Amino acid sequence: MNADLNELMAALPHDTAEPLAEFSREQLERIFADLARRPVPTASLHRLWTLGELSVQVALASVALWIRRGFASAETHQRQTLETNLRLGLKIFHRLAYLRGALMKLGQTAGSFPQLIPAQIADTLDRLHFEAPPMHYSLIREVLAGELGADPDDVFQTFEHQAFAAASIGQVHRATLKSGQPVAVKIQYPGIARTIDADFRNLSALLQPLRLGKDWESLQSQFEEIRRMLQQEVDYEREIDSLRRARAVFQGEEGIVVPEVHAAFSTRRVLTMDYIPGLHLPEFLATRPPQELRNRFGAKLLFVWYRMHAARMNYADPQSGNYRFMDDGRLGLIDFGCVQYFTDEEFELLRLAYRSGEGDPAVVRELLRRGCGATDRDLSNEDYMGLIGESIRWMAEPVRHVGPFDYGDEQYLKRGVEWFARLVAKRYVRSHPMFMYFHRSAFGVKALLYRLGAQVDIRDVPVEPWWTSGGSQPS
Amino acid sequence: MRITAEAKIANRQRILSVAAHLFQEQGWDSATTRDIATAASIANGTLFNYFPSKESIAAALIEDAVACSWEDFSRRRTGRESLAEDLFSYVWSGFKGLRQYRKFLAPAVEAIFSPLAQPSRAEAGASIRIRHLETVERILLDHGISRPLPAFVLQLYWTLHLGVLAYWAADESPHQEDTLALLDRSLNLFAGTFANDNIGVTHHERRSE
Repeated sequence: MNADLNELMAALPHDTAEPLAEFSREQLERIFADLARRPVPTASLHRLWTLGELSVQVALASVALWIRRGFASAETHQRQTLETNLRLGLKIFHRLAYLRGALMKLGQTAGSFPQLIPAQIADTLDRLHFEAPPMHYSLIREVLAGELGADPDDVFQTFEHQAFAAASIGQVHRATLKSGQPVAVKIQYPGIARTIDADFRNLSALLQPLRLGKDWESLQSQFEEIRRMLQQEVDYEREIDSLRRARAVFQGEEGIVVPEVHAAFSTRRVLTMDYIPGLHLPEFLATRPPQELRNRFGAKLLFVWYRMHAARMNYADPQSGNYRFMDDGRLGLIDFGCVQYFTDEEFELLRLAYRSGEGDPAVVRELLRRGCGATDRDLSNEDYMGLIGESIRWMAEPVRHVGPFDYGDEQYLKRGVEWFARLVAKRYVRSHPMFMYFHRSAFGVKALLYRLGAQVDIRDVPVEPWWTSGGSQPS
Repeated sequence: MRITAEAKIANRQRILSVAAHLFQEQGWDSATTRDIATAASIANGTLFNYFPSKESIAAALIEDAVACSWEDFSRRRTGRESLAEDLFSYVWSGFKGLRQYRKFLAPAVEAIFSPLAQPSRAEAGASIRIRHLETVERILLDHGISRPLPAFVLQLYWTLHLGVLAYWAADESPHQEDTLALLDRSLNLFAGTFANDNIGVTHHERRSE
């Protein structure tokens, strides 16, 4: 590797023991200043190059730490690890915020898996949901003028020039309608939607060396599923539809809030909905909430998960930025860009997946045949069946547990990550494409519950067991 | 026969209005000064009393169209904008003024502003270029960039500006969103050349110092 010496030096941990918080803030300020000057790269080659550069930097920083370990005392070891992790997180943050397109989703997903990556990186990645640098107001104004036909100052009673949240492909501004209704206006970066295809052409090229592998077809269909979901995500008219369906699903549920859409001020690229006041998960946790409150929110997160499945929907991007922890104890769901809809076939597979947790080997075999393309040979492979069995038991553990299950148990999450990593390492990942987003959301919700430290008895979550043979057919 | 100043102004306006119509309908290349004179009901020679060339007619249309861009930009400015944002706002105000001429703008801009244009043609656009760059220097000054700038800096800016203008003229994306992104990128690139000194200072901060 022809590494630049300056890059290597920049990647090395600092020698001075600065307080971590100071270090982080200073770094972030510098990165934001830098980001403010950077253009959004729309050329696909540029994006590919940027991604390649990132992987080199991460590798360099890891090597540097490994070298230093040989010389560092035990006391400084931990500090250096922390700092290096933080620096890596910031670098990733920097790059992903810069890319802003499909690749940023990767960072957001990783942010929901605190045990897959060091905690500092997870925390930094989590900031992507709220702190990515905004487009300046003059650009926002022109995007809105194009989409809504008038300046924001004419359309809205008030419109905050600074974004209060950033999304992977847009940013969110607070505003007030002429009626006085406080709203959140999500605005997409101009032209960014079309770059997603370019991203996928690049990723396809990167994946080509795998095409001779036995899982190529499965990989390709999963890849196609990601592309399909991301294309949906950039179409706000689809999100409006999902918001409306979800409002219908949770109508009458006092503990769950889904914002109302204001269609007159929404288009494919602009989405105006009720502003939902409340805290993001990190802010909520910073208030040191009592265990009982954590448990109540945990139960609501699980209720949303089950209830949406019953309605043949999946809240498929359960990262913390998509929830609001409201003062009155309600849970706000604020982003419906990534919603999976199950077809009849997929819904049957989902039912099988739920039922497989009850421990019937025949159901497991049927699920593997229909959902993972397992052959007789696979079903008689002890290693494969053992690992699959382990994963199913892990998934069902909170359900089979008697009494409140402690989602904050680090060992539980670690075991989940371990079997998942082993499945990937052994390439037992062939499955129906629907399971990709299903697993992502399953891990995402468990990661959220872990961070929340919630203890929930699943039997207290008021959901009709639609998946059982005697369960009623959902809507 | 002597004609009054009012009549001169009216003639000039009629020529411009007719020319704009013909450029749009017949296309830049097909519309000749003879066509314009005929449509404006004046003699061909009379037209040249007002405009020495087709390019100068187009330049006058552009100049009139962007005349309000400084006022438009100033009206919207809060003083808290970054350099890149100020430039973006100013340039886009100009584009908005030119929107009605988008159909023939690309060939007209090429004829008037191409570095390889004949001197007589380039002359037609000189005042537009000078006025625009003077405004850009004024914005730079507002952001504390007051030292004499090397000639290449403004040349770089002007090249970016013309490139984006040409792109915008042919941009078929919805609401010209691709041009918005391109302009944003280009101006960030340009503002980035001042990154080591004043780029982070807003107009507002500069004034309050």
